[in-house]
Amino acid sequence: MSEVMVVTSGKGGVGKTTTTANIGTGLALLGYSVVLIDTDIGLRNLDVVMGLENRIIYNLVDVVEGNCRMKQALIRDKRYPNLYLLPSAQTRDKTSVNPGQMKKLVDDLREDFDYILLDCPAGIEQGFRNAIAGADRALVVTTPEVSAIRDADRIIGLLEAEQMGSIDLIVNRIRMDMVRRGDMMSVEDVADILAVDIIGAVPDDEDVVISANQGEPLSDRDSMAGQAYVNICRRLTGDAVPLMNLEPHRGILVRISSLLKRA
Amino acid sequence: MGQTICFHKSNSGEIARMRLKLLLVSDQSHISPGILDRLRDDVTRVLSGYAQVDASRITLGVRKHRQQDEPGAEPIFYISFPLRQKYLEKT
Repeated sequence: MSEVMVVTSGKGGVGKTTTTANIGTGLALLGYSVVLIDTDIGLRNLDVVMGLENRIIYNLVDVVEGNCRMKQALIRDKRYPNLYLLPSAQTRDKTSVNPGQMKKLVDDLREDFDYILLDCPAGIEQGFRNAIAGADRALVVTTPEVSAIRDADRIIGLLEAEQMGSIDLIVNRIRMDMVRRGDMMSVEDVADILAVDIIGAVPDDEDVVISANQGEPLSDRDSMAGQAYVNICRRLTGDAVPLMNLEPHRGILVRISSLLKRA
Repeated sequence: MGQTICFHKSNSGEIARMRLKLLLVSDQSHISPGILDRLRDDVTRVLSGYAQVDASRITLGVRKHRQQDEPGAEPIFYISFPLRQKYLEKT
């Protein structure tokens, strides 16, 4: 039986796809069977970030419309054990699939995978509704910026209205130099404002751009962002890891236990 | 939710934090930020007639808007400030 997680944010460009790719590979490296589903119909990106863009034959819409079997659409990532991608369609739009169809698709995958991750598109309309349809829990991604936090708050409100099982926050693209100067809100500030449990904090890291350029997810690279994603995976699987010290020079791990209300 | 003392040159982060808190209350209560601002100023003025109140510690908020109540449950809008007994004695 699977755990189904939707990675959402409201605001575009805050790191949903990066997060989905890196959590997916991280969980696979921990030994779990994982399927990543790109639900952004018309603007697919998970395939590119994963470096699997040349292997797409069928996609999510093909499966829903019955043009192919699920097995034909799933791309097995040869670099990682038991990691699969169900890509989105590039030439259709978000009305091609409805929430009922998404829920059925997700339920059909449950017996084959330990984790199902849904990469949600930006916005609050059909794409969002499709992505959350089958999910057990939500990971809300935000950056420590005014517009991202505002949108995250709206998304959290919508998720709660939809009775989403659990909602956890990932604060992405933190720059500790700016936080120290007072020019950026801290992880604690964001958690306080949004009143949601934090499951991870990821520093701004050039390696994110480099890894997307190469189509090689971070999780097995030596980078601070990569380590942050590894820690998120460990927390998702029940290992209560303290938040990393995000200062640029690596110091001792800092326990910020008040921010970790759940294991 | 109190203010933090900051010795850094910039407080744009603090400005962002304060703006966001007001903005989210506005978004959740559907009351415009302008009205919320005026409401807070009016409340500060009224309270100042009874006590020495630090305006920065008057908070506006919306409660239970995002809890799992029945759909259509009314959000509770509140204004709160820390109560120090000595401030309420007649001066």
